[in-house]
Amino acid sequence: MAITRRELITGIAKAGVPAAVAVTVGTETLKAETIPVPSAAVGLLYDATICIGCKACVAACAEANDTPPDTRGDALHQAPSDLNDLTRNVIKLYKPEDGSAFSFVKRQCMHCLDPACAAGCPFQALHKDPESGVVNWTAEKCIGCRYCTITCPYHIPRFQWAGFNPRVTKCELCSHRLEKGLKPGCTSVCPTGAVIFGPRPVLLLEAKRRIQNSPGRYYQDRVYGELDNGGTQALYLSHVPFEKLGLPELGPESVPAKTLRWQRRFYQYFALPALLYAGLVQVIRKSLAGHEHELHEREKETGLRAQI
Amino acid sequence: MSSAAAEINRSDRWERAVPVYGFPVVNGFFIGLSVLVLVALILTAYRELAGLGPVSGMNDAYGWGIWKTFNVMVLTALGSGAFAVGIAAWVFRRKKLHALMRMALLTSFLAYACGLLLLGIDAGRPWNFYWIVFPWKWNMHSPLAEVAICMSIYAMIPLAVENIPPVLERLWYFDSRLRPGVETIEKRLHYFFPWIIAAAYLLPGMHQSSLGALMLLAGERVHPLWQSPLLPVLYLGAATFMSFGCVAGTTMLCCLVWKRGMDMDVLDEAARITAWLIFVWLGLRLLDIMIRGALGTAFHFDRFAGVFWLEVLLIAIGGVLLWRSLRTHDKQSMFVGYVLSSAGGMIYRFSPTTLAFRPNPEALYFPATVEILVSLGFISLGVVGFLVAVKRFAILPAPLQEWHDMASYFRFRRPYIRWTGYFKYGFFGEDETEGGEYRVSGD
Repeated sequence: MAITRRELITGIAKAGVPAAVAVTVGTETLKAETIPVPSAAVGLLYDATICIGCKACVAACAEANDTPPDTRGDALHQAPSDLNDLTRNVIKLYKPEDGSAFSFVKRQCMHCLDPACAAGCPFQALHKDPESGVVNWTAEKCIGCRYCTITCPYHIPRFQWAGFNPRVTKCELCSHRLEKGLKPGCTSVCPTGAVIFGPRPVLLLEAKRRIQNSPGRYYQDRVYGELDNGGTQALYLSHVPFEKLGLPELGPESVPAKTLRWQRRFYQYFALPALLYAGLVQVIRKSLAGHEHELHEREKETGLRAQI
Repeated sequence: MSSAAAEINRSDRWERAVPVYGFPVVNGFFIGLSVLVLVALILTAYRELAGLGPVSGMNDAYGWGIWKTFNVMVLTALGSGAFAVGIAAWVFRRKKLHALMRMALLTSFLAYACGLLLLGIDAGRPWNFYWIVFPWKWNMHSPLAEVAICMSIYAMIPLAVENIPPVLERLWYFDSRLRPGVETIEKRLHYFFPWIIAAAYLLPGMHQSSLGALMLLAGERVHPLWQSPLLPVLYLGAATFMSFGCVAGTTMLCCLVWKRGMDMDVLDEAARITAWLIFVWLGLRLLDIMIRGALGTAFHFDRFAGVFWLEVLLIAIGGVLLWRSLRTHDKQSMFVGYVLSSAGGMIYRFSPTTLAFRPNPEALYFPATVEILVSLGFISLGVVGFLVAVKRFAILPAPLQEWHDMASYFRFRRPYIRWTGYFKYGFFGEDETEGGEYRVSGD
């Protein structure tokens, strides 16, 4: 009459099958797949056609973030060749050999709306601020696995290779200055206004205004970062192909949404793994009983103690 | 004729696991390995002070070196025996494979333990691992969190617990006074076994596939021959046939080195399963490449195509050799089949993170000397552990003959062994315990 434990477990498991499948397959859109724009998203707009490559922003960035100047190139000038453990912001030059149009490019964190680095970060050391949308790094949560350096499609986070207490270096949009009501270091010194700071919607409007005012000036008449990789908070305008500036064509879907779809569904509420576990326990209970029985029979035959 | 053949077969039957006695634990090989371990430990101390840069070839482009990509990604695949052989034995009830289970559990535990140790050394800020005890701080959707958390839990709980029976058994035989206590513990352990064994299959299934999911986020920087939405499935599949190769191949090698009989019934069963796994996996791999339209890149004359064909050919030849050995009962081709297919699988697991990873055209990675030495040292640590365990605990399966040989060995070398009651019955079945009577086994 009374339900045995086994019946209870099998009953739950049977009811669990459709439930878990429904959760796994039926979860049409997950949070990260419909990417929300943070309420007070701020960002940068960089216009490669105005940039004169003076690198004032590089020096200002180091000063604002209190990092020593990276003079490892010639032991005299602060001229890092790329982002590195001392450099969150760098000006690079694209100069094709055939003599066609050249361009400077300012590289720093794109502050993606759905950042791949944060999607991969195991303990949320890289975390997107829900209000400002700035992707910050927290030293107390980082285990130094360097997965962010692998996942970031723009190859922005850099790991400090020397020393026993390494840090991850990336642009955090001068969060500490924003709190004080100041602009990020790079935008506060730019002499030509090639990089400007503001709320993302405002920057987007400004970028589109520039495209409208001078048609044909910009590559594909497009703002990089409006939709690319699910949208970014650093926006780019350029007269040369974005790919040449190190901004790959990733499509409108963000990298995590594109690649981790099934991973996310499989682990949604842990439903499917839990169901599998319940099924495995049932099967193994039966196998174990049979195996033990055989072992004991054999023990009687040989007189040697059974080994499980 | 047939009865004689059956008799021969019978004398080779793996009846029980028997320690490898009669061979000293410490020999030249063992000392050499220990030196490697010691060197690795010293270099590890240096790495903790100096940082990763001075000791490794890792750079901004290749953030992961062989410590992660070889010692963890590749060697834990070889060490998935507890998962693959275990599922075949316990879930699909291939009962013959129970003879190989202790080998599978031991190799898995050592591969995982050494991999996890090196993972801790590879991490730049390992002191922050304590977040692992706060589940609400995990990033549940990160493949790396899944791998790190799941792998540690797996190695420390289910895998470790599954390895307890040989230790308890040694205590049981060690001193007859310990027997009641040991039997109580065993009874309690057996009560929890279904839950522990089930966890031991669910967790590796999750993290071995998540190891593949790691490189999904890297997108197009992984060569199209490897980058695929099926990476998690293929990684898991490679782990299954590689671990069969590791368990059965290692067992064959041990039997060869320590002159034990091989039970071809069990080995044939393992080879048959491995061959099937290989053919299904290869089919899936090639189908995936064709459906994604990446087959053309396999015929470019570059290093990626070379690595791809090397990998596929090794696995395919290994599979064919295994299949053929089922008919010819040729131990040599079976062993070579295991070695080749596992080597091919190792290349596959190594490729997406290293050989086929192209962060940018100029970037290069080659492991530094210190990096290689530490990697070798931690592999040696596993081998040292294996040698000690196999020679002191009942791990390696053997014909019944071996047990009686061990009994005579001990009666000769250590006459006092009878005080412990280690061998209840001697070679002729005589009861050797005090006050025991003469008894022929099977009476």
